[in-house]
Amino acid sequence: MIFSRIHFATLLIATAAASMPAAAQSTASLPSKPGAVVTTPHVRAELIAHAPDGVTPGAPVWVGLQITHQPEWHTYWKNAGDSGLPTEMTWTLPAGVSTGEIAWPVPKKIPVGSLANYGYENTVLLPVPLEVSTLYKPPVALGGTPAMDIQLKASWLVCRKECIPEEGTFTLPLPLQGSTALHKAEFDAAAAAQPQPLAKPGAVEVDGHNLKVRLEGLPAAVQGKTLGFFPETPEVIRTAAVSGKDWTQSWQGGTWTATMPLADQRSASPTVMPLVVALPEADRQAGQPVAWRAEAPVTGSWPAGAAPRAEVSPALQAALTANAANAATSPTELPAPSSTTFMAALLGALLGGLLLNLMPCVFPILAIKVLGFARQAGNASAHRKAGLAYTGGVILSFLALGGGMLALRAAGAGLGWGFQLQSPGVVAALAALFTLIGLNLVGVFEFGRAAPSSVCSAQAKHPLANDFLSGVLAVVIASPCSAPFMGASMGFAIGLPAAQALLLFVALGFGLALPYLLAGFVPAVAHLLPKPGPWMHTLRRLLAFPMFATVAWLVWVLGQQSGIDGAGTLLALLVCLAAIVWAFTLRGRTRVVIATVLIGFTAVLTATIGRNVLQVVEPAKLASAQGTAGQRWQPWSAERVAELSGAGQPVFIDFTAAWCVTCQYNKKSTLADTQVLADFDAKKVAMLRADWTRRDPAITAALTALGRSGVPVYVLQAPGKPPVVLTEILGKDEVRAALAAL
Amino acid sequence: MSLSPSTDSRSRRAARHARAALSRASRRAVVAAAVALGATFLMGSNAAAAPAVGQQAPDFVAVDTSGAKHKLSDFAGKFVVLEWTNPGCPFVRKHYGSGNMPATQKAATDKGVVWLAINSTERAATDYLKPDALDAWMKSQKGAPTAVLMDEDGLIGQVYGARTTPHIFIIDPKGTLVYAGGIDSIASARSDDIKTATNYVNQALGEAFGGKPISAATTRPYGCSIKYKT
Repeated sequence: MIFSRIHFATLLIATAAASMPAAAQSTASLPSKPGAVVTTPHVRAELIAHAPDGVTPGAPVWVGLQITHQPEWHTYWKNAGDSGLPTEMTWTLPAGVSTGEIAWPVPKKIPVGSLANYGYENTVLLPVPLEVSTLYKPPVALGGTPAMDIQLKASWLVCRKECIPEEGTFTLPLPLQGSTALHKAEFDAAAAAQPQPLAKPGAVEVDGHNLKVRLEGLPAAVQGKTLGFFPETPEVIRTAAVSGKDWTQSWQGGTWTATMPLADQRSASPTVMPLVVALPEADRQAGQPVAWRAEAPVTGSWPAGAAPRAEVSPALQAALTANAANAATSPTELPAPSSTTFMAALLGALLGGLLLNLMPCVFPILAIKVLGFARQAGNASAHRKAGLAYTGGVILSFLALGGGMLALRAAGAGLGWGFQLQSPGVVAALAALFTLIGLNLVGVFEFGRAAPSSVCSAQAKHPLANDFLSGVLAVVIASPCSAPFMGASMGFAIGLPAAQALLLFVALGFGLALPYLLAGFVPAVAHLLPKPGPWMHTLRRLLAFPMFATVAWLVWVLGQQSGIDGAGTLLALLVCLAAIVWAFTLRGRTRVVIATVLIGFTAVLTATIGRNVLQVVEPAKLASAQGTAGQRWQPWSAERVAELSGAGQPVFIDFTAAWCVTCQYNKKSTLADTQVLADFDAKKVAMLRADWTRRDPAITAALTALGRSGVPVYVLQAPGKPPVVLTEILGKDEVRAALAAL
Repeated sequence: MSLSPSTDSRSRRAARHARAALSRASRRAVVAAAVALGATFLMGSNAAAAPAVGQQAPDFVAVDTSGAKHKLSDFAGKFVVLEWTNPGCPFVRKHYGSGNMPATQKAATDKGVVWLAINSTERAATDYLKPDALDAWMKSQKGAPTAVLMDEDGLIGQVYGARTTPHIFIIDPKGTLVYAGGIDSIASARSDDIKTATNYVNQALGEAFGGKPISAATTRPYGCSIKYKT
């Protein structure tokens, strides 16, 4: 409606102007007439001119749009601030005539709630210089005074609380001879409101999330005054920042300095910032400059507006790069994320699962399965079924884990691979489970005797259930071992839609189960297995020891979480458990009496000191208990990293956890190597350790930022360079090469 | 003595209205409290600053135009677009009237992106629309957002640093803010400019889905100032 009204008015005005005879114009002045005025409910806009010496090459000729706002309404400066748009002007001029830039008068800051804009209220004139070259051929006047027709199409956004975009077309015949000086006062006022150029460019320094501005050469009369600050570049500072509260300014002699906050969502990072400072309106004096302008070069580095996306592992990065190349040829209508990337991630997960078999924490399971195959040697069908059942167990467990992760992700919990071992309760339960398995292998008890006969018969009827359950067990035990490829795949899975994330888990599980599946289906593999015999009993006893070793490790993990009291209590309870299990193997009355006594004792023990196991010791307390862990490693925190990086020191971060075997291996081998450590010292690298043994949201967030969801992760970060993420199995040569590249 | 039937039914109706009003008010209070809590949590962690691109997008709870509650973190694992809107604004009308915004919304939601249109206009503003009116307007424009959220108290808008309508934010599946800025590259109220402008939302989502970094991650939003409650 507004548009149509404007257009109608413009049309009316234009028609009227065209019909107005040029002869009616006075040579001394140019009255405002239809054709040069557009009136809307919010503004009266008029195209006016100032040509005191007529329109000839070299003579000063100014034209300008004068906007008179209704009370409370405003239009905008060249930098509109938080919202709004600068007024735009498009000129239509005869050949040989051109315009310069709009000479924007100093604006005022207009706060709008939590936002602020720069603009004009009341009446403002936006002057534009006209340059008439010698190429300009004046029209031949058929009668009266020759005039140059200038046309302006202008659009402006006028706002109070609401905003109305408006536009208008203006025409003005400018007499070539004589003087057009009716609007001298308005043009003089606009010139007086122009910022005066400063002799020195000033300086702008980016300091963290602040901008430090330094201007020199301001006149003595303004020194000590509180100035208004107007950057011409939009989207750099927080426009709504209040002087004296959010930003400060001070004077040292004739030098004005100010510190103001950068915009949180800054989208401009200029190398030169044109700035305007202005006296407050109360301090302005007629005939004196009111504002000054400088074009200050910017030093310092802008904080990253767009933080780099997660640092992915080299394998995944390669896949992403390949995908980016593919994306150029294929349409962007791809499922999230692209299928190529996803296939790479699936392959990575499969390889990760395969490698998981070689990890120390899965090895006991490998042993159990070898034993199982040995028992059934020669029965190809049984092998096949066993392989399938085991695979089913592994994959379903991975799906359950994945489902759990998705559920927790939906609940907003930040977590990653191995998270289940961050809970002391889970660690204690696993220790108990492994103790039982170890005792069974050693021969203290048989499952057949300890379990009710119904379960025994169920097992006998369903031998596949055993294989299925061993698959489940394999997954539970494999969790702490974050094999290569797996970290990246898991990090990838966390950001995926549910179905794809679950598919990744299936791939991991399939990788883990693949060797057994092969052994089941390819007879050659199964035939390689030794025949059953007395050696099996020896092997079974032998296999108990990896189980007990796992228990020892789990107790150590719990010690990290619950302290020495927790570990001690757990050991005591495990002894009780072993005794109870043994008691059940006895016969008759003895069995009842001893078992009852042992269970009673265990119950009392659990009631009195059991909570030691589940308590989580504060890291600080733990740190002091550990005593001199060495000056070399400092505890990690994001602040500490920022502090060190700020001081120009390279930083090496070891994301680790007590329950992560790979981490411990790296810690004892590469990270304890004297040559490697000497290299670290030579480069003056600060070494930080982020211990994820207990759940720590800060570390989880940092890992997520690296595109990982498990440990170990090793990051070498030098100031001004992208962080280098090293491989999970840390090689001495790799670390030394990375250090040498600093 | 018993009440006459008409008085009885009137008092019953009054009681029913009172109950309904109370339940509406309490629901609103609970949601407002939840949002305020989320906002406070964020402010504690980041000194009242709006999130920069690359930072964690603050979580929030809001009620949509049909009264259903939505929590940002419920959409974890998906891209989420937040679009600040206000049908009273000529710039919003430019992008809806021309069909540009509905088309952008549809292209995004077809890819599995969650699109939340948010109205932070305060109740006292002349162009404030009640939920059902806003919903009707969105339907009349053939808008295709996942939900239209009410934020009359301006808490979500202030926390995100939303300044204009439209103002667009994109959150990646990990909950990181990956885009903040305008709908497109030509700041004007003219519909004609849409065809020559770069649609930053289509571009950012296209790049994100292609595994590429977002080339224009922060841009200048343009439009009307959001009329926040003061």
